[in-house]
Amino acid sequence: MGIEGPSGSVTKGRRRVSEVDPVGAGDGPGTVETPGSVVEVRTSASASLIPTIRAVASDLAARADFDLDAISDLRMAVDEACATLVDVAAPGSALRCTFDVREELIRVHAEVDTGDAATPVSTDTFGWRVLQTLADQVELEANGSGIVGIRLHKRADAAPR
Amino acid sequence: MSALSFPASRGPSRPGGLDTGLTRPVPGVLLLVVEGEVDTLTAPALGEALGALLEADPADAVAAVDLAGVGFLASSGLAVLIRAAHRAEAQGRALYLLGGSRAVTRPLEVTGSDQLFTLLPGLDELLARVDGDRPTGRVRRPD
Repeated sequence: MGIEGPSGSVTKGRRRVSEVDPVGAGDGPGTVETPGSVVEVRTSASASLIPTIRAVASDLAARADFDLDAISDLRMAVDEACATLVDVAAPGSALRCTFDVREELIRVHAEVDTGDAATPVSTDTFGWRVLQTLADQVELEANGSGIVGIRLHKRADAAPR
Repeated sequence: MSALSFPASRGPSRPGGLDTGLTRPVPGVLLLVVEGEVDTLTAPALGEALGALLEADPADAVAAVDLAGVGFLASSGLAVLIRAAHRAEAQGRALYLLGGSRAVTRPLEVTGSDQLFTLLPGLDELLARVDGDRPTGRVRRPD
């Protein structure tokens, strides 16, 4: 899927369910039957590259006919998730962000290697509360191996606030 | 436009960057013009610029932030705006936000923090609103 490309590369390909299900966990059977487009962005885990990632998020949502509020929410949610992860990433490591574009839904998974299994990511922050408000679903993943991820879902029609 | 207008950061605007400048469009009104994207990298610069806005003389000036040129506002940017709103409130004055596009208003609305500010379309609306209520500029900050 091209994720081993150089820093900052963007690859796009048709989803192959048998091969990869990067953001499908947690959903019931049946959802994988609708193949969507998967876009993976891999950058150095640097805050200076987050504008590029949120621009990709915004572009994908616009092309998927998300309404304007939902585009704005997704862009901000992806920015927040990436900023949270970059903050705990090991020096010189990578930030990997995967967008699974479905009908009426974009699933995002972002992850970094913290280099330390004990690195905490606090969810008791203003930023995390904002993230929970922006996304339809958000989840922090830390499996104790040092890889920390954030998984979020955003529907095409933003709920009125 | 009066004399005081200075860039707080150098170089041309670029994606992900931020430029701020404090202006005095009319006596008694301080306007911080912000252009660019406010995220985790640039929020500290916005925080400093807001601090300068709220410390500038006259201390009872109408304080406003022109956000028409802001294309992105992250939670880190919201946080510094909220801190500035609380500080202005402690000073006994409102903090006006002018010209925010959806990229600005949506984060404010989603988080409910729009209640902390007075949002107006632009400078004309601000001047119409505060006309006759502007300070004379004679109040000086104690040194």
